[in-house]
Amino acid sequence: MSYLDLKEPPRRESRLQACIARGGPLGEVAQRPLRCCIPDGERSFTQNSICLLLPALGTMNSIPGSVVLMHGGLGCGSSSHGGNAGVRAGNNQRWGVVKDGTWLSTGLTESDVIGGGEEKLAAAIREADRRYQPAVIFVVASCVPGIIGDDVDGVVEQVQPEVKAKLLPVHCEGFKTKIWATAYDAVYHAIGNVLLPEKEAVNASVSLTPTVNLMNMSSMGRVDEVELERLLTALGLDVNIFPVFADPDNMHKMARAQLSISTCPTHDDYMLEHLKEKYGIPFLLQHMPIGIENTGKWLRDVGKFFGKEAETEAFIAAEEQRLQAALEPLKALFAGKKAFVSAGEFRALSTAILLAELGFEVVGVRSFHHDEFADGEYEKLAKISGNDVELNIANVQPFEEANLLRRLKPDVFLGHMNGNATAAKEGITTHVIYNLGLHYVGYKGAFELARRLHRQLSNPRFNRNLSRWARLPYRKEWYEKSPFTYLKQAAIGGDQHE
Amino acid sequence: MSDYIERPRYTCALGGAIATVSALPDAIPILHAPSGCAGNFTWTQAGGCGLQTGGYCGGLSMPGSNVLERDVVFGGAERLEEEVTSTLEVMDGKLYVIITSCVTEVIGDDIAAVARPFRERGVPLIFAETGGFKGNSYHGYDLVLQSLLRDFAEKTEKKEARKVNLWGITPFLDPFWRGNLEELRRLLTGLGLEVNSFFTADDSVDGIRAAGSAALNIVVSDVYGMGAAEAAREVHGTPYITAPLPVGPSATDAFLRQVSRALGLPEEETEQLIQQENRKYYRFLENFTDCYNDMDLQRYVAVVGDANYAVGLTKFLADDLGWLPEVTATTDLLDETQTELLSRRLAELDSGLRPRVIFATDSSQIREATVAHWKTGNEPGNFYANPRSPAFVIGSSLDRELAKELGAAHLSVSFPVANRAVLDRGYTGYRGGLRLIEDLVSTIVIGR
Repeated sequence: MSYLDLKEPPRRESRLQACIARGGPLGEVAQRPLRCCIPDGERSFTQNSICLLLPALGTMNSIPGSVVLMHGGLGCGSSSHGGNAGVRAGNNQRWGVVKDGTWLSTGLTESDVIGGGEEKLAAAIREADRRYQPAVIFVVASCVPGIIGDDVDGVVEQVQPEVKAKLLPVHCEGFKTKIWATAYDAVYHAIGNVLLPEKEAVNASVSLTPTVNLMNMSSMGRVDEVELERLLTALGLDVNIFPVFADPDNMHKMARAQLSISTCPTHDDYMLEHLKEKYGIPFLLQHMPIGIENTGKWLRDVGKFFGKEAETEAFIAAEEQRLQAALEPLKALFAGKKAFVSAGEFRALSTAILLAELGFEVVGVRSFHHDEFADGEYEKLAKISGNDVELNIANVQPFEEANLLRRLKPDVFLGHMNGNATAAKEGITTHVIYNLGLHYVGYKGAFELARRLHRQLSNPRFNRNLSRWARLPYRKEWYEKSPFTYLKQAAIGGDQHE
Repeated sequence: MSDYIERPRYTCALGGAIATVSALPDAIPILHAPSGCAGNFTWTQAGGCGLQTGGYCGGLSMPGSNVLERDVVFGGAERLEEEVTSTLEVMDGKLYVIITSCVTEVIGDDIAAVARPFRERGVPLIFAETGGFKGNSYHGYDLVLQSLLRDFAEKTEKKEARKVNLWGITPFLDPFWRGNLEELRRLLTGLGLEVNSFFTADDSVDGIRAAGSAALNIVVSDVYGMGAAEAAREVHGTPYITAPLPVGPSATDAFLRQVSRALGLPEEETEQLIQQENRKYYRFLENFTDCYNDMDLQRYVAVVGDANYAVGLTKFLADDLGWLPEVTATTDLLDETQTELLSRRLAELDSGLRPRVIFATDSSQIREATVAHWKTGNEPGNFYANPRSPAFVIGSSLDRELAKELGAAHLSVSFPVANRAVLDRGYTGYRGGLRLIEDLVSTIVIGR
């Protein structure tokens, strides 16, 4: 049975044995399956992070003609205020129109918690359909309906015949999974079930130019899409990008491509498997096109699939030559500088490899979780940076990071959004590892990242000055303990369950 | 409330509690919540609070129990106890505050029972039950202040005649909270008062601990922090006064007189301060007068804001600056008493102007009503039309669409403020009035 036949996607803990707690040198984990989890309760001290609702909203709010209806407490999804700048910019970059996302909340109250919120949800769907006349309404379940037992799918089924918009139920009950990458599955699940055609309805007509699905589950902004389009077009391919900012009426085209290509293996396997299973579309899900060698590998896989090995090689050689020449003047400043990165697993690893390519010494890597897709990426990093790189699997947990930073003393730190303040307060030069307005991907991304790092390192005063006056909220005794004091970790390569 | 709220201009009670605790000096919030509530609020801050997030211990640095399905089934109290214990080992704070979420409130964890043994050992630990379904972020702010005043501020019979507590301005949810508090602190200090305002760089945990010895509590809001004022009266016997957020000279004159009367301060000293501040304020305006007139900078205005700003800004524009407020929309969830009070404030403007008053949570409804008001009495095609132009919209960044439709200039002041960086800027008091004029007029002349 396909996962899409289930009411909601399984947690990634069950589907992929994904986990969030590990600490130790890279050499301990490379070349063997990384098992790092005791299910639940991995740490006896934890800080907060995000839940799957947040990244799910990143994609849902981007869909043109959509309304996102949050069913939950009033605050769930207020993160959309943060995402809205990206929605406005994304709309502007693609269509020249600045437009806010439209998100709504059923704002469940104490009496709803007692009496149930299904009627309110049904009424809200009808009203949203009438007022905004959207093409689709994402009906999002957050924690409260998950506990009080509101049947969101039942409400959707009941109301769908009465409304014009297509209704997409999306399960984002934050307490159900600690792996927020489950978000990508939740959104793909809804799109797959509601917006993709029946197999029989797929037009078998073959276009002259081969077409590929380029998957972007908010892995990158428009500037990075443009770079990947450039690379794929150079191989003579037509590119359709899904699902961010994709018109819901065009999603069906996903079922007609010759190949699906992932941009980030952490994001896309759920949909790619579905496209293969249902429509017979093969897929590539091995490399992320961040870094020089990784971009080449990513592109070679595509070239090989279409039997264009020779022209791919020639293209890569020309690109690399041009890039290396451009990087040369920047590299002098990077030589011998220590770098530390922290982000989602694939992004952290591929960015670390890129930094090594730029001449940095990679001393530490933190990944927000671990699953099997990244095993190969650890091998690549060990090959270029050695086995001593300090590795920490952590769903953020800045206290472990603060401790590691004091030990490793990096010259530059690359962290995710809201993840650079710890290093900044320590006076370390920082740069954001993910920002929808900036280049990261492909050859252009490698150069632009190098250029930005060069700029940051040319005047690191902001953080240095701040560090003289701001202090981190940890006791001094904490820095004397092992950074992994509060980790309860399973034996490496051993059984995951004790 | 209708069946939904469109792009709510606030978050939940827990979000308000996070904002509040993370703004307290040397305080460590401990969330009893799923892992995502903190991230949700941090992203909310990044998008709506004038580029301010975090704090000493905010953002993703806040400790939390990260409750999961297992805790929902078996209860999360044990996990919370473990988390508090380890937090005390790792985190360096002078005050620890447990704040709770929808999930842990629905499952009914007994927080008081978890906190008790720590408190008995002398740990500076309090808690507030801030489940998101209990209300919005302003309510969460109020709940944390109530806990501070009930469970942290020491009780004393001895009141100090010239000591006051000041609140009613919500950290982060009012993106100008720091500047707003600082200016009012400055003025109250000018009256010879010692001020605890909880959240500025001049406040301290010791100051908060001694809040029970104040002679008066001052709430600069008609809505936010009322529960705390009542709690302090009940627990500490401290009387309180409330005032609308004082923006600009007229409202600030009235505010200072109100405080002075409530404390029985010498009238001549108060009047002296008011004179001095007004003299300074208008001295700054003196040099602006030519350009203000020559460039015809008076505007028709639509004000869209939370309960504090809707009234405070409208009064300043109508009574101090001499602009023409046409519409004032308040975006909070309010009860009948609150809407009556705010309506009354807006019907009592010294200038005699009477803006159309709207209470609505949804931007699209406010936009429709305001555009309709702008069109009223203006038939298109009339050569001698008398439209409400030139116009200005002072609201949040969600009101840019409205401004565009009216052909008006726009300034974000009320949450969400996505398109401005806010550090120490504030709009309260005399200096705040000057700041606001600078910002409004700079917006108009930016293309010059």
